[in-house]
Amino acid sequence: MVRLITHNLLACHAKGCTTNNFPLQFKDVSIELREAEFNADFLKGLLPRIEWKALVDAARQLGDTSLPLEQPEMVDDEFLKNLHHVLLEMHIEEGAMVCPNCSHVYAISNGIPNMLLSEHEIA
Amino acid sequence: MYTPYLFQFAQVHEEFRIPELLSIAELHSFTVQIPEDIDVTRPFVVLGLESDDHARLLAKRCILIKSICEFYARGKNYDELHATTRTMPSKWARFVEDASFKMNVTAYNHTIPQTRARDVVEDFSYMGMLGRIDLKNPEVTFVCYEEYVDKHGTTRDKHEGDGEFREVFLGRLIEEGTARPLAKTYDVKKRKYFGNTSMDAEISLLMANQTLASPGKVIYDPFVGTGSMAYTTAHFGAFVFGSDIDGRQMRGKEKVPGIIRAAAHYGVDKRIVDLCTFDVTQNPWRCGEMFDAIITDPPYGVRAGAKRLGRKPRPPGSTPRPAVTPPSQPRPDDQPYIPPTKPYELSALATDLILLARYLLKPNGRLVFFLPTVTDEYEEVDVQTMLCEGMEVVANSLQDFGSWGRRLITIRKTTSEKYEPPSFKPTSTSRESPKDSDAPDHVPAHKDFRMKYFKKFNKDEYDT
Ligand SMILES: C[S@@+](CC[C@H](N)C(=O)[O-])C[C@H]1O[C@@H](n2cnc3c(N)ncnc32)[C@H](O)[C@@H]1O
Ligand SMILES: [Zn+2]
Repeated sequence: MVRLITHNLLACHAKGCTTNNFPLQFKDVSIELREAEFNADFLKGLLPRIEWKALVDAARQLGDTSLPLEQPEMVDDEFLKNLHHVLLEMHIEEGAMVCPNCSHVYAISNGIPNMLLSEHEIA
Repeated sequence: MYTPYLFQFAQVHEEFRIPELLSIAELHSFTVQIPEDIDVTRPFVVLGLESDDHARLLAKRCILIKSICEFYARGKNYDELHATTRTMPSKWARFVEDASFKMNVTAYNHTIPQTRARDVVEDFSYMGMLGRIDLKNPEVTFVCYEEYVDKHGTTRDKHEGDGEFREVFLGRLIEEGTARPLAKTYDVKKRKYFGNTSMDAEISLLMANQTLASPGKVIYDPFVGTGSMAYTTAHFGAFVFGSDIDGRQMRGKEKVPGIIRAAAHYGVDKRIVDLCTFDVTQNPWRCGEMFDAIITDPPYGVRAGAKRLGRKPRPPGSTPRPAVTPPSQPRPDDQPYIPPTKPYELSALATDLILLARYLLKPNGRLVFFLPTVTDEYEEVDVQTMLCEGMEVVANSLQDFGSWGRRLITIRKTTSEKYEPPSFKPTSTSRESPKDSDAPDHVPAHKDFRMKYFKKFNKDEYDT
């Protein structure tokens, strides 16, 4: 896991790291493709929260180019299918996410990211 | 237009029954008429519904419903019951000619001897049913329930006091409750992965119903632990996020995280979206208004103490602790290094949780969580002291353990205004929670719950 939907909803939260702290950059990641349950309501419900450019960039970095650079105004079935695949079916199992601003490294092991901060990073 | 329906409830969790069925009614956008003088401690109640379909929706989803009948009559004795029943033949007129039927005669808190049960059935012969009696697959089932007062464990003969019931009810069965067996399906003992913080299956299901979990919704547990409520909410079709300060709680000992293993066994793993390790008071969520519901059992210090990142205050004059060098390598959370944590007092945690929920929930979203309280000290206002603007209590049900208990609190986000995420500063209670006008100095009974628990709720020990 660490699906792209989750990657899109997390930002670096170290003390003082408030700008350029998103999206976290992938480092040495291994990905797995796994079929997920399609649900249009789920996708439409979260779409307003998605940072589009970050999502497209992340998908492209992992080799998926099915999403358009500009977020389409019209939500049709074809688009939802691609969105579903990108948000839910690409899983990062190992590796890390690195803050572009403060370089904090958030390790991922067995699909669970460690977003804990160290003592000096707490607000 | 409401017509009366007779509900039979399971003999547990009295205070959860009505909130549960109101939640499921809201989920399906219909309403239930609740009489003002309802006695929730009784196993039979008559409530108003608009259709048989609504009864079926409730019976299929509510964990505490054993059956729902179309209500015919009630009486303190059979004379009263028959007198009323005889006045309403139109209720069953359409079944008289050729419907196959049976009648069940059962009792609550009692066993009726078979011979008398047969007599009871005989006494309804004036209903004039002409169809075939079919005990296996009848088209119509009439139900006659006798309600006896609980004898509280006094030993007595099985049939002693037969006929001395409190009230008797008659109705036509619409639907047997079919959700109760889920408590067996999700039984913690038979789960692929669980721990000493795992939540009882029946309660986890009741909590899930309070969230209005349904296909496509997004639900979050910020103290997910071993995931008990992740399974039940996912069971009802919701997509689930979980996080915990302690990665080992979510992972267990094998490579595939324990929560994922258990969820796969239940066939709901595709709806566990992600699990993350973090302190919810130092959380990395990028934005708010993401979740339809937050469901959680916060740590209240009896088993899994509440903690947050930071150090405990040290006594003055003690030698300073050596600074921990920040790890430069990415650090997996299943390693022994755990950042220092400090205790988190329960009333502060509860207030923070509600502020966090206001930030993270979509408008109309629900926060469902347990709040432990000291039974003798609890006051209604305790819950009010935790609230903030835009958050409203929908239900508050006590699970009573004697000297202490825990309340399942359901809160709705009534506002669509945007709020900042809470600061989680120790002073946040007074600064961010504006509802302190009525009781400025009220100290809720759940404050310092952990200390009170370990002093066995003996007031003399902690009041001084
Ligand atoms: C009562 S348990 C919840 C158990 C869970 N319902 C289950 O089924 O196992 C509370 C959990 O909160 C976690 N916890 C304590 N303080 C926390 C914090 N500040 N942030 C996130 N999690 C925390 C503990 O590690 C523990 O797993
Ligand atoms: Zn950062």
